[in-house]
Amino acid sequence: MSLVELQGIKKFFDNVRAVDGIELEIEDGEFLVILGPSGCGKTTLMRMIAGLEKPTAGQIFIGGEDVTALPPRKRGVSMVFQSYALYPHMNVFNNIAFPLKAQSREKKYDKRAIRDKVENTARLLEIDMLLDRRPRQLSGGQRQRVAIARAMVTQPAVLLLDEPLSNLDAKLRANARDELKEFQRSSNITAVFVTHDQIEAMGLGDRIVVMSQGKIQQIGTPQFIYDDPANEFVATFLGSPSMNILRSEVFSFGFRPENFLPKTLADNPENSRIFHYYIKRVEYLGSDRLLYGYVHGHDNELTLAKVPSNVRVALDVDCDYEFAVHNSDIKFFDRQSGQRIEQQNLQGVV
Amino acid sequence: MASGAAVLNPRRYLMDDRRFVGVIFLAPALLYILLLVGLPFLLAIAFGFSDVTVGNTELNFVGFDNFVAVWENDIFRQVFSNTVMFTLISQVFILIFANILAIIFTQEFTGKWFARFIFILPWATPVSLAAIGWLWMFDTKYSPIDYLLLQTGFLGPKGILSNSRNLFWLANPALSQISVIFVQVWRMTPLATVILMAGLSSIPTDILDQAEVDGSRFMRTLLQIKLPLILPIMVIALLFSMITMFGDMTVVYVLTRGGPVDYTRIIGLYSFQIGIEGGNLAQGAAMALFAFPLLLALALLMLRTASRAEVR
Repeated sequence: MSLVELQGIKKFFDNVRAVDGIELEIEDGEFLVILGPSGCGKTTLMRMIAGLEKPTAGQIFIGGEDVTALPPRKRGVSMVFQSYALYPHMNVFNNIAFPLKAQSREKKYDKRAIRDKVENTARLLEIDMLLDRRPRQLSGGQRQRVAIARAMVTQPAVLLLDEPLSNLDAKLRANARDELKEFQRSSNITAVFVTHDQIEAMGLGDRIVVMSQGKIQQIGTPQFIYDDPANEFVATFLGSPSMNILRSEVFSFGFRPENFLPKTLADNPENSRIFHYYIKRVEYLGSDRLLYGYVHGHDNELTLAKVPSNVRVALDVDCDYEFAVHNSDIKFFDRQSGQRIEQQNLQGVV
Repeated sequence: MASGAAVLNPRRYLMDDRRFVGVIFLAPALLYILLLVGLPFLLAIAFGFSDVTVGNTELNFVGFDNFVAVWENDIFRQVFSNTVMFTLISQVFILIFANILAIIFTQEFTGKWFARFIFILPWATPVSLAAIGWLWMFDTKYSPIDYLLLQTGFLGPKGILSNSRNLFWLANPALSQISVIFVQVWRMTPLATVILMAGLSSIPTDILDQAEVDGSRFMRTLLQIKLPLILPIMVIALLFSMITMFGDMTVVYVLTRGGPVDYTRIIGLYSFQIGIEGGNLAQGAAMALFAFPLLLALALLMLRTASRAEVR
């Protein structure tokens, strides 16, 4: 049995189907990332796991127990909000101690136990020298650690994180990502992490759940989702720049800009598809050259190519070149539904 | 324009002059403060140190004579202690009721809009009208309160409270004071409630959600999260209602005229009675000024507390 199980979860706000039929199992000790654009229902889904929202339909199990009707304090979950939601009038010690004090009646913590737990957790997150400070005297990174310490101090079954890195500046974020992952691995806690940032999702998740319009589009490891997208939405949502999608009569096909290379660079051209590519514009991005242009026969569909800068091939604006994509890197999708079509089912057509 | 490009009009208008516009915008507020607050205040100080009366408007400087005379006046001492007592006691009740009401009105329930509307009415009613309404409620003979008590057996020949048919709300020393305090609380609570409601709804929902996930129940969230976070706003609400009450004379003027004897006389009323009705402008002004240092200290203290308290 999985640690967390969601069965047929729906949440409607008036006429808006925020979450529309979610089936999901979260394994003990895994780092699960829920990824999707804003408004896709990911935060609502997390709030339902936390117990802050009641599902319109469906059931939630944590540790085998049906918690659908239980308030947050009886679910063994804790949460880190995007804003960190530190209590501004309490110092760091009291912030971290708050959940312990709030649950002291059920769990019978005395003052001594609370002090020990707070200090241990603070030491683990290297904020033990900040215990007397107020939240507003802390940097963004320190606030985030305090929020995580407060969430961890009760040793919850599940740690819910709602975009906790988006308030940090870009430099800090990469570092915080690494620390968070390291911390999750060493403490072996089950983490559910909500984000709209695909880099965070790819970097942190053991598995990624891609959501859109209240529904799960695909679940899988980062690499699986990137290499084998289940539909056009997943294909274009992951990757930067996103996958090129070209339309033909009955199906669409797509390939990633980094797999779209000059024919002279292709590993085995006999297993590749060759396109005539007209380059309209070149962006030099340091490590890569990003090409904007059109594939012959698809004059209205802007197609991008990402060529590493260390490849010394002349690529000039307003010129035609032969570009190749390995057959296995071309994905086919149904034109109507956007669902993936396996290549062998298309043999007759292509 | 043929070229399509806008040509800037080189002429400078009077309204482009920041200094001129600034003066224009400030003038109404400045005039109001100077003429209706500043001037009377200076006049009160001038009167307080003089021997001016309604009959003799000549201003002769007499030093602190008026203040000494006022302080040696036993009635004034009673009046002064009445003012302080009424203000403090009513503030306690206003704060308690306003907090409870603010918490109720920030919850979701059916009929909330109507309930809010009803509770705001006492504050929207002109003071004098409200006081006249209460004058009838406390009427010596026809008080509806007495009538209810009579019907329920608390009053009357075998009554529990009294064997008379009336309690004589405004004639009994203790009851008259209670009545005055009651009306002030009734009148001032809505404003304090509205201020506290604004404070409560300014608490970020993330903080309250966090407290819920952390396992905090209603009372803990209230006492340890909500109240500390709205403390600065509570201080502002307190300051407002204290200053309003300290300077008010309408309620007692309508209800009791300060009686019985001097039990409900307060500074604002007494200074009006001595200075305007009695014609002794100098002593009336001196009395009014007695409250000034107290209010000033109070205002400074509270504003400092409010700015020092931490909201985020």
